[in-house]
Amino acid sequence: MSERVAVAMSGGVDSSVAAALLKRAGHPLIGVTLKLRDCHDARGSRSCCGVDGITRAREVAGRLGFPHYVLDCVQEFASLVLEPAWQSYAQGRTPSPCLLCNERVKFGLLLRWAARLGIARVATGHYARLLRSADQLLLLRGRDGAKDQSYFLAGLSREQLERALFPVGDLAKPEVRALAKQHDLPSAETPESQDACLVEPGQSFAEMLRRRFAASAQPGSIVDEAGRLVGRHRGIHAFTVGQRKGLPAGAAGRRWVKSLSPATGLVTITSRAEELLGRAFIATEVSWLAGDWPRQPLACTVQIRYRHPSEPANVTAQPDGSLRVELESAAKAITPGQAAVFYDGDRVLGRGWIALAEPGPAAPPVLPARPPS
Amino acid sequence: MIYADHNATTPLAPEVHEAMASALGASFGNASSLHLAGQEARRLVERARAQVASLIGAQPDEIVFTSGGTEADNLAVLGAARALPADQRGVVTSTIEHQAVLAPCRYLRSLGHEVTFLSVDDQGRLDMGALAAAARGRGHEHDHGRHHEHDQDHEHDHGNAHDHGHGKVGLFTVMLANNETGVIQPVAGVVKEASAGGALVHTDAVQAAGKLPIDVAELGVSLLSLSSHKLHGPKGAGALYVRRGVDLAPLWHGGRQERGLRPGTENVAALVGFGQACELARTRLGVDAGRLGLLRARFESLLRARIPEARINGGGGSGAGTRGPGHPGDGRLPNTSSVSFAGLDGEAISINLDMLGVAVANGAACSAIDHAPSHVLVAMGQSEALARAAVRFSFGRDNTDADIDRIVELVAQVVTLLRGASA
Repeated sequence: MSERVAVAMSGGVDSSVAAALLKRAGHPLIGVTLKLRDCHDARGSRSCCGVDGITRAREVAGRLGFPHYVLDCVQEFASLVLEPAWQSYAQGRTPSPCLLCNERVKFGLLLRWAARLGIARVATGHYARLLRSADQLLLLRGRDGAKDQSYFLAGLSREQLERALFPVGDLAKPEVRALAKQHDLPSAETPESQDACLVEPGQSFAEMLRRRFAASAQPGSIVDEAGRLVGRHRGIHAFTVGQRKGLPAGAAGRRWVKSLSPATGLVTITSRAEELLGRAFIATEVSWLAGDWPRQPLACTVQIRYRHPSEPANVTAQPDGSLRVELESAAKAITPGQAAVFYDGDRVLGRGWIALAEPGPAAPPVLPARPPS
Repeated sequence: MIYADHNATTPLAPEVHEAMASALGASFGNASSLHLAGQEARRLVERARAQVASLIGAQPDEIVFTSGGTEADNLAVLGAARALPADQRGVVTSTIEHQAVLAPCRYLRSLGHEVTFLSVDDQGRLDMGALAAAARGRGHEHDHGRHHEHDQDHEHDHGNAHDHGHGKVGLFTVMLANNETGVIQPVAGVVKEASAGGALVHTDAVQAAGKLPIDVAELGVSLLSLSSHKLHGPKGAGALYVRRGVDLAPLWHGGRQERGLRPGTENVAALVGFGQACELARTRLGVDAGRLGLLRARFESLLRARIPEARINGGGGSGAGTRGPGHPGDGRLPNTSSVSFAGLDGEAISINLDMLGVAVANGAACSAIDHAPSHVLVAMGQSEALARAAVRFSFGRDNTDADIDRIVELVAQVVTLLRGASA
């Protein structure tokens, strides 16, 4: 008998096609949709976690001919993903909840639940590839560069990856769509970021979290690079380094959030794009997949946010277990709290959380100076 | 697929299907209309009413059609409670009722009724001592020395209801047979206890109907709930037996159908199917019950031979009388077998059986870490872990000896697999 697999189904096209491929390959299958929030939270939203997703997933499982179950993770999702995300915002960082969800829920709770059923493997519709050999297990970017989701999976441990399957990772999006059509599966898109997955229209993720945990916002001042007060804000959680929207209207041109100070509630903005540039940061709580921990400085590439090109960098292990990352050229808005994912070509080496973004090189400025006003 | 979850629902009997198909055709009239089309619909509804009444030894005018068992339970409990005299508003029920009774009882408590939830013994049978105390209107308040001994019931209202003047019990509601364990409850005993105080007795007979002979006169109840789809009828139909002379307050308003207790245009085809299903159940009852008892006995003896540590819930002990577990007439519905597999997870067993083409129930929703254990098994004194280890097998008319043998074989396979997985 072929190996039994639990396939995580959001009701979207990618996980539906993943299920169809596994079914075609002869695996005895069960479909599972994670219920991540209570129904009343999902009212009116078209989310991967709501009832409509469950309904679509069940429809797909029924059409493909395998049973489908709903796994209630509402409480665990709140404590393992949402609460840390709120803590992160409250401390002036910008969290990456999708990574936590994969590490703790999809390949945490779900994996353990499947094991309890005697099912060793969990499949998802992520665009990433696993290359297995006798002594190696490599996590690679999805074949379709535009869809690659290896960034979201980069924190999985070797043990988690050994039990994972990513059936669509070898396919390009148009091929997935064609397969969906061929199997008469719904072609809805699965939302890919927390904004799409968890937030109701017109509400920011951070504000949704604040209400969810009934936290009081930390109001404070907005100052410019010279320390001059330009306005007040109602909560530091509403700001992200590099952000342009939602800043007080100023006299001169474009302005960005440069830094956040959770201790004082101070939001510093700048009108000079070069102020946002940084060349070095520390990656904390590193999960390292690529065999040995880099004892020598390692040349690789690093991706500092999802859907962002990866950039050449030098990585040096620190005595405290973190990594110091030096980018070859300065990057804009290195954002504390986001995941930094390390690659060797297409291969994922590991991930850490960005901390302590350091200023870029003192001179020379990379961008032309601002024209005199 | 082998279907062994008949306490959840049953397939439509072919005779029922046929009767409904014909009713869905030409007989589209509104049973309240004066013309011939309406009269034809009325005739069908009334024939169905007589068929339903006949299954339980009632008169047709004592049958109120509802949308199903849940609605019948709500109408009985809430409708009776609203019509109770002011000095007799107490309600007594058990901890093992279906939610369709438990939830209305909790609601009544929120309205100020004193509600007592009676405990059951380790075999899932109503505690007659607690019943007698409740019937005497003394409940748990009477003897504070023994209060906590009896108080397995977390829901009991500890306030002294007598001070508010409505402590006298006006309504007892105890199910005829439990849906999870199949354990038959001493409803005649409840009637006996209730009669002295002039209280009404309701019984939820949704699981018992079609599996046990029921005679409302013999049973002595005032109110009895039935559901169509548990006895090979369609979903969306049910009935409440209301003994002549019993006064219920309507929960809905807007029409005179069903004596004003269930206003709204009748679902003629569903009622025709329900009636046909009741007639079939009545004529087949002796044969069906005997066959189901033999199937269940075969299942339990084979299962115990293969998995000696499997424990049958409600299948033995004082409540089961002198005949041994597995014997037809051992104090349970003949078709129901609730089995606990200590150390394993009922949900995991159910899902694995589903993958292998066997439909059973584990009585709990799927949850990542802690799914709620069965309130019935916990009420029987089982630990939460053991209650989570339960699987309910409920057999039906179409199951065969070969089905039973196959199910036992697959259960044994799954248990072996899961023992390996948890090791």
